[in-house]
This record gives sequence, C-alpha cells and structure tokens, in this order.
Amino acid sequence: VLHVDRRSYYAGNWASFTFNGLLSWIEEYKQAGPSDEAAQEKVEEGEEALALSSLDTSITNVEVFCYARYRGNTDPGEGHLSHPKMSACETEANAHLCCCDYSQLMYSRGSLVDLLIKSNVSRYAEFKNVTRILTYRNGKVEQVPCSRADVFGSKQLTVVEKRMLMKFLTFCLDFEQHPEEYQDFSVHSFWDFLLTKKLTENLRHFILHSIAMVTPDVCTVEGLRATQHFLRCLGRYGNTPFLFPLYGLGEIPQCFCRMCAVFGGIYCLRQSVRCLVLDKESGKCKAVIDSNGQRISCSHFVVEDGYIGLDQRKNVDSRQISRAVLITDRSILPSDSEQQISLVTVPPVEPGSPVVRMVELCSSTMTCMPGTYLVHLTCSSSGSAREDLAPVVSRLFCIPVSPGEESKEEEGSEVPSVLWALYFNMRDTSAVDRSSYDLPSNVHVCTSPDAALGSDHAIKLAEAVFRQLLPEEEFCPPAPNPEDIIYDGEGPQGEGPGFEEADPAEALPSQGEVESAERQEEAEDAGETGDVAKQETVAVAENEPRPASEE
Amino acid sequence: MHGRVKLKSTAQQEEEKRKEREKKLKIYVTARDAVFAKRKNGMLDDEALLLTQQLLSSNPDVATLWNYRREILLHLETIREEVDVQKMYEDELSFLESCLKVNPKSYGSWHHRGWVSARLPRPDWTRELGLCDRCLSLDDRNFHCWDYRRMVVKMSGVPVDQELQFTDRLIGSNFSNYSSWHYRNACVPFNNMKPLGVILAFSEYELVQNAFFTDPNDQSAWFYYRWLLGRAEREEMISCVFVSREEERVAVAFSRPVNVSTATTTFVILWPLVICELPPGTISDITNEHNLTVHWTEKHTHRDCALYTGRSVSWCRDSATDQELFSELSVEKTSVLQSELQSCNQLLELEPQNKWCLLTIILLMRALDPLGYERETLSHFQTLKEVDPMRGAYYGDLCSKFMIENTILKMEYAEVRVFSLSDKNLTTLCHLDQLLLVTHINLSSNQLLRLPPQFAMLQCLEVLEADNNAIENLEGLYHLPKLEDVSLKNNKLSRLSDLQPLASCPKLTRLDLRRNPVTQLVNIESELAELLPSVTDLLL
Repeated sequence: VLHVDRRSYYAGNWASFTFNGLLSWIEEYKQAGPSDEAAQEKVEEGEEALALSSLDTSITNVEVFCYARYRGNTDPGEGHLSHPKMSACETEANAHLCCCDYSQLMYSRGSLVDLLIKSNVSRYAEFKNVTRILTYRNGKVEQVPCSRADVFGSKQLTVVEKRMLMKFLTFCLDFEQHPEEYQDFSVHSFWDFLLTKKLTENLRHFILHSIAMVTPDVCTVEGLRATQHFLRCLGRYGNTPFLFPLYGLGEIPQCFCRMCAVFGGIYCLRQSVRCLVLDKESGKCKAVIDSNGQRISCSHFVVEDGYIGLDQRKNVDSRQISRAVLITDRSILPSDSEQQISLVTVPPVEPGSPVVRMVELCSSTMTCMPGTYLVHLTCSSSGSAREDLAPVVSRLFCIPVSPGEESKEEEGSEVPSVLWALYFNMRDTSAVDRSSYDLPSNVHVCTSPDAALGSDHAIKLAEAVFRQLLPEEEFCPPAPNPEDIIYDGEGPQGEGPGFEEADPAEALPSQGEVESAERQEEAEDAGETGDVAKQETVAVAENEPRPASEE
Repeated sequence: MHGRVKLKSTAQQEEEKRKEREKKLKIYVTARDAVFAKRKNGMLDDEALLLTQQLLSSNPDVATLWNYRREILLHLETIREEVDVQKMYEDELSFLESCLKVNPKSYGSWHHRGWVSARLPRPDWTRELGLCDRCLSLDDRNFHCWDYRRMVVKMSGVPVDQELQFTDRLIGSNFSNYSSWHYRNACVPFNNMKPLGVILAFSEYELVQNAFFTDPNDQSAWFYYRWLLGRAEREEMISCVFVSREEERVAVAFSRPVNVSTATTTFVILWPLVICELPPGTISDITNEHNLTVHWTEKHTHRDCALYTGRSVSWCRDSATDQELFSELSVEKTSVLQSELQSCNQLLELEPQNKWCLLTIILLMRALDPLGYERETLSHFQTLKEVDPMRGAYYGDLCSKFMIENTILKMEYAEVRVFSLSDKNLTTLCHLDQLLLVTHINLSSNQLLRLPPQFAMLQCLEVLEADNNAIENLEGLYHLPKLEDVSLKNNKLSRLSDLQPLASCPKLTRLDLRRNPVTQLVNIESELAELLPSVTDLLL
C-alpha cells in the first residue's frame, strides 16, 4: 500500500489542526499545485493520461473573523492577538484545535467504534465521553435529559413528565416487539406519532431534535429507529451516547494510518498524484504519475473525491455542508464543572432555516486552551456557511460589534463571546453513486465527511472498497498484541520507533524515492490492514504489496 | 524496527505459566511457615512485620496474619516513642492501601484499617474520607467501604449535610444503588431532627419521588420511601387484663411478646399473653370483690382490674379503636400522607400494573383510613396478585392481616365480643392477642390451612365456626376453657391425631366434622367417643 498526499498532514478533509496549522490551512486551501505537462512523457504507447485536479475545490466560502484586538497589523494570519485568551492560543504551539473533522463525535455503538475495537486500532487513541446533550428551545439553552440519571436529576421536568419520557424511551428501546403501538402510523410522520403519545411539548422537542435527531417529517419507523440507536449507545462508556477522540477526530484516520504503516504501508506526504495512466484497451488504470514525474504501477487506485477533475465529475450532483468553527470565552451553559463536552441541537431558528448541530469542546479534550471553548457548528447548506450559520451564532453568542472590538462583558452576562470565527462550506459527496464518475473501474472514490453524526457512511464505504480490492481478505482483522510478537533479537523491544519517527514526510519527497515507513517481513500481511477510505490516495502496488525499498 | 508476528503456542505459554505459579507458591509457603514459627515463639519484631507484609500483600485475606500483625504493633507501641508510633501506623495505612488495591472487598484489610485509624495518635480523617470517596467512586456498592466511612464520619464529626451531599452525588449518578440510599437513613437522624426535619423531609420526599417516577420498577427508591414514611412502633403496655372467677385465673395481654420467669408453675405463657393460675380458693367466692393489679416492672407500668361482687368475669382494657395500633406507617402528619397518596395515585394512573406503587398505595391508605379505603385496598390487592403472581401468597397473607385488623376495629366500634370474618380469602390468622375477649368467632369460607398455636389466646371463646376452609391442623384449639361448639365442616382433617388438641378443651360438647377425610376412618365414631368423651353432639 502506497499512500501519497499532497498535504503536509494526514487525513485530508478529515484532519484536525493546531491553531497555527488552521491559519496556514486557510491560506493553503486555495493554492493550486503546479500544473504539469511533463507527465505526458511517461505515458507510453497504448496508454493515455487522465489528469487529476490540482486544485481542491471541496472547500469554499472561507471567511475568518477575529474579534480579539490585534496588537500589530490586522492580518489574522500574522497578527498578534491581544485578548489574553487568544494570545494563549497563539503562543502555545501545541494547542490543538480541531477544525475540519466534520462529524466530530462518534456513537459509542457505531460502526466506527466497533471497527476501532475489532482492529485494535483503538490502542492508538484516547477518548472522552460527551458529558451532556443540550438543545436550544424558546430562546434558551437547556440540558436534554436523555439517560436514566439525567431524567432522575432533571429539575425542568415534573415527575409525571419524567415517567412519560421514560416510558416512551423504554418503548423505543425495543419498539419492534410492540408493533401494535406504531403500526397504524407507518404512513404518518414521526411527529404525528409523538403527538399521539401523551407527551408534553418540551418532551416532544427533546425526543425529536435531541434524541432521535431527525426532522419532523421522517416516517415513524425511522424516527423510532433513530431513537433506539441513540438509546442503545447510552451507558456503554457514560451518560451520553457519544465519544470524542482527544485532539479531535482527525486523530482517528491517523490511527488507521499508523496501523497500516506498522504492517508495511508506505506514506508520502507533500507528494501528489498528477495523473493516472490508463490502458487504452482495457480502460483501466495501470499506473500513476506523481508530482515528481515518477511513474508508479498499481492495480488499484483509491482517491478522495476532491482530487477528481471537473471532466470526470460532470454528472456528479453533490451537496454542501455549512461549517463554522468558533473560539469562545465561556460555555454556552455554565455548570459546576468547566470541563463539559456538549452536543447542542438547534432546531430551525426561523421557518425554513436549517437544523444546526453544534459541538462545544472544553480544554480537557486537548482542543483548546483552558478558559476557552471550541465550538463547531454544522448544517446542510442552503447558502454559504455564513449565511446559514451566522443567525444561529448571533442568537447563541455575543458577537462584538466589529472585528478588533472586544465584547463588553456585562457583569453576570451568561452569553459567551466569540473571540474568533471561521466559516466555510464543504462538499458532501456521500450520497453520490460511484457510477456518476467518469472513471476507470479500478479507481475507487471515497468521500469527504458526510452530514450524518457518526462516521457510518465512511466505514461502510471503506469496507466496500476493500472488498473490491481484496475480496478474499478480512477487513481490518485484529492486530496482534505487542506481547504476542516475537522479536528476532535485533533492535529494541516493544513497538520500537513509532510511526512519527519514520514519518515519510521527512524521509522522502524531494528525492522522489519511496522509502519504507515500516519494514514488514511477512509481506502477505501488508495488504490486509490498510484502511483505504480514509486516506487521500492509496495505490496498491502491482505485484506484491512489498515495500519498494526492501533490502 | 518491528518484530514478526508469531503467536506463541498455547502449550508453551501454559508451561511458562505453570512454572511461574510453582515458583510463587514456593516463596509463599516458605514465608508462611516462617511467620507461623515466629508467632509460636512469641517473636514480636520488625522482621515478622516484614514477613506478614509480604504474605498479606499477595493475599490480604488471611485473618491470622492480620491478628499477628496487631499483636506486633501493640507490642511495638509500648516500646516506641509517640513520633515513631505515628510513623509506624502511617506506614501501616499505606500498606493497607496497597492491600485494598489487590482486593477492594477484603474483610481483613478493612477491619485492620479501622483498627489502625483508631489507634493512630494523630489521625488524618480527611485523607481517610478521601480514600472512601475514591473507593466508592470505583465501586459504589462496596459495603466494607460504606461501613468504614461511617466510622470515619463518626470519629471526625463530619457534619450531616456534608454526608447528605455526598450521597446526593452518588444517587444522582446511579439512583438504583441502594447503598447510597441506605447511607442516608444511616447517617441522617430524620426522626429526631426537629427544626431541620420538616424541610429536609420535604426535599427527601421529592428526591425519592423523582426516582420512582423515573423508574418505578427500581426497588431501591421504594424501599427508602417506605423507610421515610416510617414504621409505627406500638407503645409498650399491658393491653388487657382478664379475670375469670370460675377458672381462677388471670390472663394478661401485652403489646408485645414478653419474657416471664417460669420459676413458678402457675404461669402459662402464650407469647404476648400470660395466663396466671391463681391458688385455689383465692377468688372463688362470688360474694367477694377483688381488686387486681398487674405490674410490668420492666416498663414501670401497671394495670388494675376489679372483679365485683356477683360477677363471674371481669376485664380491663384500652379500646383498640386507635388506628395507629395497626398502622405500618408512622408519619404524624396526615396531610403529608395524603399528598403522598395523591402522588402515588398519579403514578398508578400512568403505571397501573406497577406492584411497588400498588403496595405503597395500600400502605398509605391503611395509615390514613383503613375502613374507608377497604374496598379500594381489596381491589388493589387483587391487581397485585395478578401482576405479581410470584408473591401471591405474600399478598394473600398481608391482605388477611389487614382484613383481620379492620374486623377488629369494626368489632371495637360495635362493642361486641363476636368476631366474624367469613368469605374474605383469609390465608393466615394474626393479631389473635387482640381477640382475648371474643366469645364467638366465624372464619368460614376462607383459605385457612391451620389454627395456629396462638389461637389458644382466645380464652373466652365459646363458639368456633371454621367451615369450608382447608384446615388440616388444630393445634391452636388447646386448653380453651370456654369452648363448647366447634364447626369444622368441609376441611382437610384426615387423622385422628389431628383432633387430639380438642381433648384439652373441657367444655366441648358439640363438634361438626362433616365432609372431612377423617370421617372416612373405620371405627371413627368409637375412637372419637373415647378421645372426646365430653362431646355429646358429634356430626360426622
């Protein structure tokens, strides 16, 4: 498995950044790689070149606002922030701020968690439980009682409401066993069903927006299934159904990369594939030509949607996601503990506006400095990210009048102030059928993060692609434990120098030579463990998946 | 550089493990023998301390070793300076912490920790409380730790509200953990906390209601609720004195079973009833008036009873109309009970099948107005038996108890000596000490299996009707001085020996045994005539 990536970091649009990394990303996203004619030289007779897009068009409408005063010039990329909390972000080089990872949370019983456990990749990451589910209702942020303990402890529900809610949730947990309860509503919407269930108005709000997290018009069974999934995830690791990986979800693709590298996958960052070499006769991709003009043979080529040129995606009808990333000075719902990780569901603030999902991260998630909160907002786009999300931001946060102007912190004001904001749109191709791309059959397309919470679609796609590549092999088999590995007496014991040390980003690009990230003696293992969908490009070497630099 | 993946053969692994175990065992056994030898020789030195420490750190559950350690520590305490003693016990505490990591539920370790903490010259209770917090956050049902916490709290005088907040937190995270609820009733003196009591009790009801409305099938909250509502304690008293001139005896009923010295043979004790046979001739002269006083020295109480001229019997008792006599719940304020009943009824509307709710409602109704709610109580019992058939017999017995209590109350209101409780699904008999004065009793058409020994407390009973039951045992019909007429039609009496107790009732003249298996025995008539010569009217 050869993995090349034109970025200087892993995971493409799934990556998480430090604050400075994010600022460079804002600058970088619009820069095109050098176009290349020289590639044509490497194309032989009976072949034709198919150029990949040198410009990633998946991110659009990037807008940055900084509300903390700058000491020097006003350029957000270079300025010095005077707000004490913001300057902390800047000076602390290791302050991780996750940004692009769209579905920031993982369902604790989702396919991603199952895969992490099954493959032992989980050993490379650490997680925290989301501590509370919030919602925006009647102009206020409220905690949603979703677990048994929440319902018990809730001060906003009457005892009768507590019973009604628990009764409904208990029913949802195994609703299939009680078809008589809902079969009359099979053609009606979930909302209509809720109306018949003797639930008070706020309970219906909680169930629809924060537990099932569906729109009112979905059918009853779908709503019930969504509720059931939420409930089944409860209590596995904590009081909410969600996990958050420390340092951001961008860690997860890196963990899979690491596992792949341990078993022989080769990684090259800052190196791009310029074009594919197609065999005219079969129409298949037989090689790629990289940004150094090197021709690399392959039998399969896995690529992220963002690399595919306009010509090949004429028929592709993709959606857009609107995203916002905020740094704020306090939590949206202060509580006893500063360290809360909250999922906030915001129903349409006006008729016709989108449902916004918001995640507020505290400093213990290693994504922001103590005293600040990192907030992600996400919704399906109807306009630009700012048009879609600014109305919600202005309702929930205090935005200083003009950039540079610090918000006047009123005494006792509970509303958090925005210190810094980023808006952008991201292409969502999760619903695109592979056949809409005009590409050879051995080129496999994977998507950017999709609109759903959890990463089920990406996992499903990864497995589907893997099945096409290696129909006989098990997908992500459990990796052996370190103690089950016998060492030959050479080199240090244990895992040895890790992934980072052998980082091909440093080891390789300029010479154009491909070096083994990790040497793998049992070559047959190498092809099995690569997680293909998450990587930007994965080329499976032609003859055998043996590292090119095998001595 | 990464190694090759090659799984070791399991046989190889097994062998390695076995060798490892053998080695460990050998070290352990050697150390153990050394310790026992030292103890035998009465050596109380540092080396013994070290050896026991080695053993206990791998197996903290050997009581003998802890005992030996205490012997050593006590000895060292006498020969060391206080500073060193403090140090010695502090070391002991940190050693104990490592033992608790091996087994957090080790009886020996927790007990020893309590002992050490109590002997420590300058104890650090804050640290001990912190240890409890940590242990309970790892396992909130570790009862050793709860016990230890109680000791720490008591020794260091932690304020009650701080402990309440602590349990608030634990209950908040898991309200099904009865340990946390129980700790509240162990540490909170709700009953004797007058000024704080009312407010606290109110929020306490709210808390527990939140729990049972959230999950009415969770018994923790219901149990705590039941405790919160209280349990009536009957005043200890002499409830009745009965004097019979003819039998020359005094029967004294107490509110609870009593111990009576049996040095003299004139006492017959039937649990809460004591019968005193008076010396012959003491009260036999009908023209004399007698004033008797029964003293209960243990309780400094007494009761008088006068037997007037011309009267053959006399009694003195309090009216049993007082509802609290039978109440399971003791909350003084009826208004509290009333509002609790409302809440429970609200829950029952949502959960008509919930057994805890039904049972609690029954108890509340009984505390409020047992006769007024009789019909509803019976129907709730019916539902209970349907939704929880596994406990049908329990509900049957409880219902019988309540029915008997109601009948006693009705009898008292009517001031009669007739007790009639037929066709009420009675499965058991109780409160028989309250029926001392009853002359006629009707228990027909119930589900009774026996007339228990306590039945012999019915000293005035003349007529017994117990037809259509499933009675197979009559041991309670024993020495009933006035019993004349017994009807036991359609029961399960099958052996002649079952009827033996009747022979002790001197006045029995009429006995109806129709439709009992015993009537099928050969020669039954002549056998009965021999067994019960006084019976002149025998129906078989």
